Amino acid sequence: MQFFGGSEISPSPPVPTATGNNAHMMYVFNRNGVCLLYREWNRPLHTLNPQQDHKLMFGLLFSLKSLTAKMDPTNAEKGNLGIPQLPGLGCSFHSFRTNTYKLSFMETPSGIKFILVTNPRTGDLRETLKYIYNLYVEYVAKNPLYTPGTLIRCELFNTALDQYVRSIA
Amino acid sequence: MGREVSESCIDSLLTVMVSTYCNRFYANKPELAARRIEAIGYQVGHQLSERYTMERPRFSDHLEAIKFICKDFWFELFKKQIDNLKTNHRGTFVLQDNCFCWLTRMSIDQSPENGTSEELSIMADNKVMQSMHLYFPCGIIRGALSNLGIPCAVSADISNLPACSFVIRIKA
Repeated sequence: MQFFGGSEISPSPPVPTATGNNAHMMYVFNRNGVCLLYREWNRPLHTLNPQQDHKLMFGLLFSLKSLTAKMDPTNAEKGNLGIPQLPGLGCSFHSFRTNTYKLSFMETPSGIKFILVTNPRTGDLRETLKYIYNLYVEYVAKNPLYTPGTLIRCELFNTALDQYVRSIA
Repeated sequence: MGREVSESCIDSLLTVMVSTYCNRFYANKPELAARRIEAIGYQVGHQLSERYTMERPRFSDHLEAIKFICKDFWFELFKKQIDNLKTNHRGTFVLQDNCFCWLTRMSIDQSPENGTSEELSIMADNKVMQSMHLYFPCGIIRGALSNLGIPCAVSADISNLPACSFVIRIKA
């Protein structure tokens, strides 16, 4: 009998390119599902068009949050089925990992969701996402020229974000 | 001495003030909005200069007063001094601040890819909004100087963000 080693079945993840950042892409959604920012650094495979991609991503997160809250074994009270929870209530999931990528998620009390997709060997990115949230507050929320709820098009935020993402291991 | 206020509070208050005056009160009259904002700055500068010159002797000449603005006054307001002062010795002074704190977070929208006429007009609007935010500090400087007995006209120039130059022209 032949034994198939695990490494031969799953393809190894792509090595981060020299020019690109360590992250593949990033999404920022507000509480209404509007995609405020989509930044792509290293994404060879595009399956859907941008609108469908954003809707799928938002829907996925909504369902995942709901699922993790309902399946929480440590919560004493019965979860209220079907009622959307306020951000931060119940348990919150923060990442999932596949053989080719890792998706990290953070939701702020104001309903802003940050999603960062990186290579699967990345560690816990909660501090990274918190730092990115700080960048958001500094350069977007405090930008006098930015209207909340619209697409983020602030040079300073984009530059700072690119620089920071390049430095995460 | 004196009470303190959080910087984020002031930043947000100024942002809302400029946008309210520009978009609601004087919606299609940017000159009126600018003059109103500058007048508010004038009042503020007038009162602040009173407070910050409390224990000082009178200034001997215009240059001393301008140096007070550059060093002590700016330090009280923004925790830093003016980085560069130039004059032509004939009543015109240029105060340059290399990192003006109310402008550090302002960034214009990135240039549009297709450059449609509406997006270009949005960019022009953004430039106008950027300059609107400068009327308040100009008013502060003008109010402070006029309280020290120096009538003048102040304008600002933001050709390279986040550095900002204030041009003071003293009325003869």
